[in-house]
Amino acid sequence: MARAAGRPGVPAHRSPRFGVPVALATALERAWSGWRGPHRTEGNADHRFVMDYPVQRHWRWKIAFYMYLSGASAGLVFFEVLLRWAGAIDAETATLGMTLGVVLSLIAILSVFDQLGPVARWNFAFALRRPRTSVVTRSVMGILLLIALRVIAVAPELAGFESPWAEGTATGDVLRALILAVAIVYIVLSAMILSSWNAIPFWNTPMVPALFVGFSLLGGVTTLPMLTWALEGQAAMETLATDLAPVAGALLIANAGLLLLHVQGMSTATRPARVSVRMLLHGAVRGRFLGGVVVLGLAVPALLVSLQLAGSMTGLEAPTALALAVAVQVGGYLLRDAILRVGVYGSPV
Amino acid sequence: MRWGFVVDLERCIGCQACVIACKAENGTPRNIHWMRVLEREEGEYPDTRRTYTPVRCNHCANPPCVKACPSGAFVQRPDGIVFVDQSACFGDRVCQSACPYYIPFRWDGGDGYFGEELTPYEEAKYGQFRVGTAMKCHFCYHRLDAGRPPACVEACPASALSIGDLDDPESQINETLRRRRHFRPREELGTEPGLYYLVGKGGGSVGGMDLAETDRG
Repeated sequence: MARAAGRPGVPAHRSPRFGVPVALATALERAWSGWRGPHRTEGNADHRFVMDYPVQRHWRWKIAFYMYLSGASAGLVFFEVLLRWAGAIDAETATLGMTLGVVLSLIAILSVFDQLGPVARWNFAFALRRPRTSVVTRSVMGILLLIALRVIAVAPELAGFESPWAEGTATGDVLRALILAVAIVYIVLSAMILSSWNAIPFWNTPMVPALFVGFSLLGGVTTLPMLTWALEGQAAMETLATDLAPVAGALLIANAGLLLLHVQGMSTATRPARVSVRMLLHGAVRGRFLGGVVVLGLAVPALLVSLQLAGSMTGLEAPTALALAVAVQVGGYLLRDAILRVGVYGSPV
Repeated sequence: MRWGFVVDLERCIGCQACVIACKAENGTPRNIHWMRVLEREEGEYPDTRRTYTPVRCNHCANPPCVKACPSGAFVQRPDGIVFVDQSACFGDRVCQSACPYYIPFRWDGGDGYFGEELTPYEEAKYGQFRVGTAMKCHFCYHRLDAGRPPACVEACPASALSIGDLDDPESQINETLRRRRHFRPREELGTEPGLYYLVGKGGGSVGGMDLAETDRG
């Protein structure tokens, strides 16, 4: 410790300026994760002493869960605001969508918080320090702004007051327009996290953000009928599900096309990208990708939407919409998980 | 001034002395190696050989880790050395995803080399790191600032490693680079690494990687 104190930039165990003091962080850490036992450093022991193409192991399901939940939350709010403006859902459903969006975002943040370094995680506020260069900082700002705006939008109603920015007022319209804009920006920003670095070729392509955006919107469009069902009853849900079926169908086709293009493109790209594709189609991730993303996340929803559009599901709209929402959500999570798992670095030399 | 690092691949014998010297100097925790010598076997029996390529942080002039780090924990000194200010790091591992050389680590505390109980050496050395934060090679800048070469350079028995000022045209390192064939790791990524590999006269193969191979990643 004394040694380190003499080194500029390695101020060991010194409380960082504006940061949480180490003693407090340690106490908070004990409360947060003490029950889980000692942490193990994943993604370090695999630094082998051979020349190869290493697979990233430091970002796993918690990051995938964060990406999925935050995307689903933003997608939900995006469609909720749009459909409310179009008069397709009532005010109660819109409020529930907004509230659910906040809850999903908070769970997403907790998931990523648990992934941060033990003890050091309590300085998470430092994530906001580099908006000019770090896409992560911009993404964190985006999700916090989105949460804040949604809380502001629903807080008066949830507290039982008459909202000064209720629907129909000028302030209310501006607020909702702002939420819509921030939701779009956030979906794009969070989707760009993986593609902004060129270390991992499979991630470093515009197709990855496009896929994430597509799956986020698909998640939103298939979840909204569920909320309508809960608040307005089956008839309203059936109407909305039928109205939204063409949108869901278009998004499914777009997502399938993007996925096919991405995998096909990567299969003829650089060697690490080809290793990623091999893992995806023939390796350990095959089950998640082919079974979870392709079949459950795309093929099953496509079948259900086709039946909805053909009018073959009369009387079965509720279970169909539920199955559609569940399949799309599971597929959305597994897409993020599979993409993270097949992150292969290029050669270090 | 900008520090540069040169590795003569013709001289490296894969003894791992630099790896051990780095660990001894910096006291890096178990499983964490700021310096590594990567091995690769090539050829077909009986014409086979094993090649060695020392890798460590390249202290890039255009470092992706510095740009990607949301907390500003990765800092670049005026002399080009990139180091981690552990007091600002909160362990998000963004640097690990952004570095194309797979260099940064995160240390989450835990056991030493001989189990749960740390040796006095480990206790003293590990105490200089903050749990849950990133770490990587810092070019032994505490030694450089005191006028001594990094531990790995000093320990190399084959003199395969050397350092110098890249900005000084008269420096030994620039003289060597003018005279010898060389390349920088993954230069095509635009990171402008401060590390140069010297290759032999006939060397079509470097560290096991064919120089003509265009799809290294």
